[in-house]
Amino acid sequence: MPPLTTSPALSVRGLTKSFGPQIVLDGIDLDVHAGEVVSILGANGSGKSTALRCISGLTKFDAGTVSVGGREVRSGERVPEFAMVFQKIYLVPRLSVLENVCAGALGRLSFWQAWMPRVFPDEVREEAMGCLDRVGLATRAHDRAGRLSGGQQQRAAVARALCQRASVLLADEPVSALDPAAAEQVMRLLRSLADEDAIAVACVLHQPDLARRHSDRVVGLISGRVTLDTTPAALTDANVDALYAPDYITEGGLI
Amino acid sequence: MSATMDARPGRRLPVPPRPRTVGSLATMAVVIAVVVGLHVVAVHETQFSLTELVSGWRGIWHFLFGAPATATIKASAGALPPDLSWHIVGPGLYQCLVTFSMGLLGTTLSIPFALALAYLGARTTSKNIVVYQLARGLMSFLRSVPAFVWGLIYVTAVGLGAFPGVLAIITHNMGVMGKLWSEAMEETDRGPLEALRSAGASSAQTATHAVLPSVIPQFTSLFLYRVDVNVRDSLTLGVVGAGGIGFVLTQAIQEFQFNVMMTYVLMVMVMVIALDLLSAWLRRRIAQ
Repeated sequence: MPPLTTSPALSVRGLTKSFGPQIVLDGIDLDVHAGEVVSILGANGSGKSTALRCISGLTKFDAGTVSVGGREVRSGERVPEFAMVFQKIYLVPRLSVLENVCAGALGRLSFWQAWMPRVFPDEVREEAMGCLDRVGLATRAHDRAGRLSGGQQQRAAVARALCQRASVLLADEPVSALDPAAAEQVMRLLRSLADEDAIAVACVLHQPDLARRHSDRVVGLISGRVTLDTTPAALTDANVDALYAPDYITEGGLI
Repeated sequence: MSATMDARPGRRLPVPPRPRTVGSLATMAVVIAVVVGLHVVAVHETQFSLTELVSGWRGIWHFLFGAPATATIKASAGALPPDLSWHIVGPGLYQCLVTFSMGLLGTTLSIPFALALAYLGARTTSKNIVVYQLARGLMSFLRSVPAFVWGLIYVTAVGLGAFPGVLAIITHNMGVMGKLWSEAMEETDRGPLEALRSAGASSAQTATHAVLPSVIPQFTSLFLYRVDVNVRDSLTLGVVGAGGIGFVLTQAIQEFQFNVMMTYVLMVMVMVIALDLLSAWLRRRIAQ
């Protein structure tokens, strides 16, 4: 169980975001502690991905606060503590796996320390090897990233996040493009990062089953509001149906 | 970028040596040798010489600021300052309009031919491999012959003037635009096409119902780009007698009126930049 006595690694209060007239996030509160995996469930358009993008600084938010380790982060500010993992993985396919992982360190390197992928400093390359070993891909370091299977690529993307030395991992549907076996492997990896490396993991999922088995807490979003915050054990099928119900209503009762 | 958290460095492992095949270094050396060799030959064959450029400064000076008459050559006006009197600028504007019209008309009138060739020469829409190869071959031929060569051919057929210029642009452009359009069609997402095919649509139907609607923005953008290029091409067509600003520009050079030539060059520059800005702006609007 997460150490609830400490202050959360990631703390979000009243996060609000609109795109034009459309309110996407309507005051979201979210805490993720070090060593905790929090799954975020919700229908398409409920604001899950936007929430992660606002936290990581890829998208600016309108109001509310985001704090990491007790320090407040400005809207649109990108800090090394937050690492993002994407549904579409976003490795550079033509670069080697190792070079992709080294890229996680770019935030703490000057331009001339790594002006092209081949010239990362040795200590970064060695640290990246350590990260690759952590995700079980040390033997594939020099392969082109595009040659790996989807599951391996997503693990390499997690290694890139580790090489960033992030304390909070924001995973946006990390397993939606993977087959069940690869998805299971990636979720176990995220779980072990929380357990063994005390990383705080916030993970958007579409699979209630994976959320039940791998997370400490499940948060549900409907129309940009947190409507559910519970333990996996207490997550009922009725809860899940309620999260995905708005789809049926807006689309005219289709089931 | 202050480290509020303890961003401790991770565990380090030695990096294994990069596997390198024996052949790759040798291949690299051969490639470099060949490329360098080709450039040496090219420098030699073109008599590329910076010293000659420097020692020829007098010619450039005469071109820019005029030269006195010699026994064999009559005196010439220098390119600077350009002759901005109205009897030069006025007709120049009219010739610019002619050049623009040639480029525009040539591009517009080539649309149906380019469309047909693009349809027959795109893998997504062309099922018959023979027809496909024929269409690709025809497009290659039409575009490998430069517009001004087409211009020379049409001038001998229909005489001097802007009309053979338009014909030349049409001929060359149907090859180029056909190729660009067919590639745009090949790059579209095959998903919607396969959905319609599974619904029993013929290949002509998938073309008009899935492929064409998805590529309209690319088609329009490429068309605007071609208008831009073709107006510049019509300029060189003027040199071979197909009228427009290129024709009077050549005349000015032949008569050693470099100050008049400079006026036309400036007008061409203004027209090309204006057209480029307009076409870029339109393409941005379409892309949105």
